[in-house]
Amino acid sequence: MKNMKKSLQAYGTLLALAIIILVFSILRPAAFFTVRNFINISRQISLMVIISIGATLVMSINEFDLSVGSMASLGGVMSALMAVNGLPLPLCFLLPILISLVIGWINGWIVAKFKVLSFITTLGMSTVLSGVIYRLTGGATVFQNIPKGFSWLGTFKIGEIPLLSVIMLAFVVLFGFIMRHTVLGRRLYAIGGNEETSKVAGINVPLYKNIAFALCAVLSCITGMLIASRVGSANTTAGDGYFLSSYAAVFIGCTVSKKGIPNVLGTLVGCAILGILTNGLTMLQMPTYMQDIITGAIIIFAVIMQKLGKGNAN
Amino acid sequence: MKKLLVVVLALMMLLGTVAHAEIAGKQVALMTPYLGSVTTNQMVEYMKTDLESKGATVTVINTNNDFAMLASRIEDVATSGQTDAIVLVSADPSQIANQLQDAFEAGIPVFGCDSGFIDGMAVNATSDNYQMGELIVKYVFDELMGGKGTVIALTHRPHPGVVKRCIAFDDLLKEYPDITLITEQHVPAEQPINDAQTIVENLLLANAEKDSITAIWAAWDEPAIGATQALKEAGRDEVLVTGVDGNQQAISLIAEGGNLKATVAQNFEGMAKIVVEEMEKLFDGQEIEKGEKYAPATLITLDNVNEFIEK
Repeated sequence: MKNMKKSLQAYGTLLALAIIILVFSILRPAAFFTVRNFINISRQISLMVIISIGATLVMSINEFDLSVGSMASLGGVMSALMAVNGLPLPLCFLLPILISLVIGWINGWIVAKFKVLSFITTLGMSTVLSGVIYRLTGGATVFQNIPKGFSWLGTFKIGEIPLLSVIMLAFVVLFGFIMRHTVLGRRLYAIGGNEETSKVAGINVPLYKNIAFALCAVLSCITGMLIASRVGSANTTAGDGYFLSSYAAVFIGCTVSKKGIPNVLGTLVGCAILGILTNGLTMLQMPTYMQDIITGAIIIFAVIMQKLGKGNAN
Repeated sequence: MKKLLVVVLALMMLLGTVAHAEIAGKQVALMTPYLGSVTTNQMVEYMKTDLESKGATVTVINTNNDFAMLASRIEDVATSGQTDAIVLVSADPSQIANQLQDAFEAGIPVFGCDSGFIDGMAVNATSDNYQMGELIVKYVFDELMGGKGTVIALTHRPHPGVVKRCIAFDDLLKEYPDITLITEQHVPAEQPINDAQTIVENLLLANAEKDSITAIWAAWDEPAIGATQALKEAGRDEVLVTGVDGNQQAISLIAEGGNLKATVAQNFEGMAKIVVEEMEKLFDGQEIEKGEKYAPATLITLDNVNEFIEK
C-alpha cells in the first residue's frame, strides 16, 4: 500500500498524461492517436518547451523571471527588424541572442547584488522591454519586406519532422544533461535548495544567479525569434501569451520529480500535457471556453495532487 | 475715450479669436490598448500626422492589451486638465464607461476611431461591422461555397467590431440550411496567427478527409493568415479561407492565389479622416451630429487585389 502511494506520487503526473492520451484516443481514434498528430503536437509545443526550460532554470534557484514573455516578444521584433534592414540572416538570429544574454545578466546581477525580489526586478525589466519594443516598432507588427529566408527556421521540415521539433529536442537533451550531470546544474539546485549553505560551501552564488537569468533570457529570445520565423511576421506581443503557460508547465513538471523540484524532463511533460489538451479538445471541436475551464482545472488539480502526495510522505 | 474704444475693440478681437479657436495649439490624446495591431497603428499614425500638420500637439498612449490600465490613463488625462480632446482608438468605450464619465464631466470631447459609441461621446468613426460581416459571409456562402458545405469559424467576440461580424455570420448561417458549422473557435489576440495555425492544424487532423471542410471563415485577417499557413502545409488546397481587414500580409496571400480567397478592406484611413474632420468642426465651434459615422468598406478578391498592394 505504501509502495503504491509512493509510485503514485512519483508517476501520478505521467499517469495523468497517459489517461489524457487514452481518453482522446478512444474519442478520436482515427485522428488523435496517429504518428502524424504526435509530430504535429511536438511542433505545437516546441516553442512553449524552449521558453519553459528557461523558466525551469530560474525556478531551480528559487527565483522567478516575469520578463520571459516580453523578452520573447523583443527577440522576435529584433530579429525581424534586423532582417528587414538587410542584415545577413545568421546575424539576425545571433545578435538578438547576445543582446538577450546581456539583459538576462542584468536581471541576475540586480537580483544577486542588491538582494531584491526577482519577482519585482523582472516585472520592472518586463515593462522596460515592452517600452523598448514600442520604441523600435511604434507598436506595429513587423511584416513588410521580411526576406523569404527568414521563415526557414520556423517552417523547414526534415522529411516529415519539423525542424522546430528537432530544435526543441536538442534543447531538452542539452539542458536535461546540464541540470543533471554537470557542476553548473548541481550548483543551481544547491542554491535553490539552500542559498546560505551554498554560500558557506564556497559556491559563487551571484555568478550562478547571473548565469541562470542570462540563460533564461536567451531561451526566451530564441523562442520569440522562432515564433516570428514560424508566422512570417513579428507581433509586438507575440511572446506575452507564453509567460503564464510556461510557469504552469514548470509547476506541473515539479510534480514529476520525487523531490518536487523544477526539472527539464518534467517541464517537457508539463508542456506535453498542456499541448495535448489543447490539441485533443480542439479535435473534439469543443468550444474555447470549455477548453479554458478544463485546462485551468487540470493545472490546479496537478498542484493539489503534488501537495497531498508530499503531505502523505511526511 | 478713444483709448477706451481701442481697448474694447482689442478685447472684442481677442474674444473673437478665442471663440473661433482652431485645432492649432490643441492637446490631443490618442489612446488605445492595441497599438500592436497593424490597422490600429495605421489609424493612429494617420491621425497623428494629420493633427500635427494642423498644429495640434499629439500624445499617443498605448496600454498593451490592458483595459484596466487604459481606464487609469483616461482618469489621468481627465484630471490633469491639459488635454483638449481624447480619441479612443479600437477600444470598446462601454468597458471604460466610468472613466469616460470623468472626461465628459471635465468637458473634454471624446472621439472614437473604430471603437464604439456611448452617450456623452462626440463621434465614433467606424465601419459598419455588421454590414462588413454580411458582405464577406455572403461572398463565402454564395460565391465560394455555392450555398452548401461545411464551415469553421475563427472568432474573437470580446472585440466590439469583430462581434458584430460574428452576429452577421450567425444570422446568415440560419438562412443557409445546407451549410453546417463544424465548430467555432475563439482566437486570443496576443499572437493570433500562431494560435489560429495551431487550431486549424488540429481541426484538419480531426477532419482529415478531403472536402470534409469547405471553408474557414475568420472574423479578421490574422487568424485567416494562420489558417492559410496551416492549410498550405497540410496540402489541403480545396479549403477556402476569408478574412476581414485587408492587412498587407493577407493581401499578399490573396495575390498568391492560394487558400486565402478574400478579405474586406475596412477604410481605416477614412475613419481617421472622419475623426480629424469632426474634431476640426467642433473646435471651430460648429455643431456636430453625435453618434456613429461610417467609412464604407470594399471586398478584396484575386480580381482587384493588385489595387491594394502597397509598394
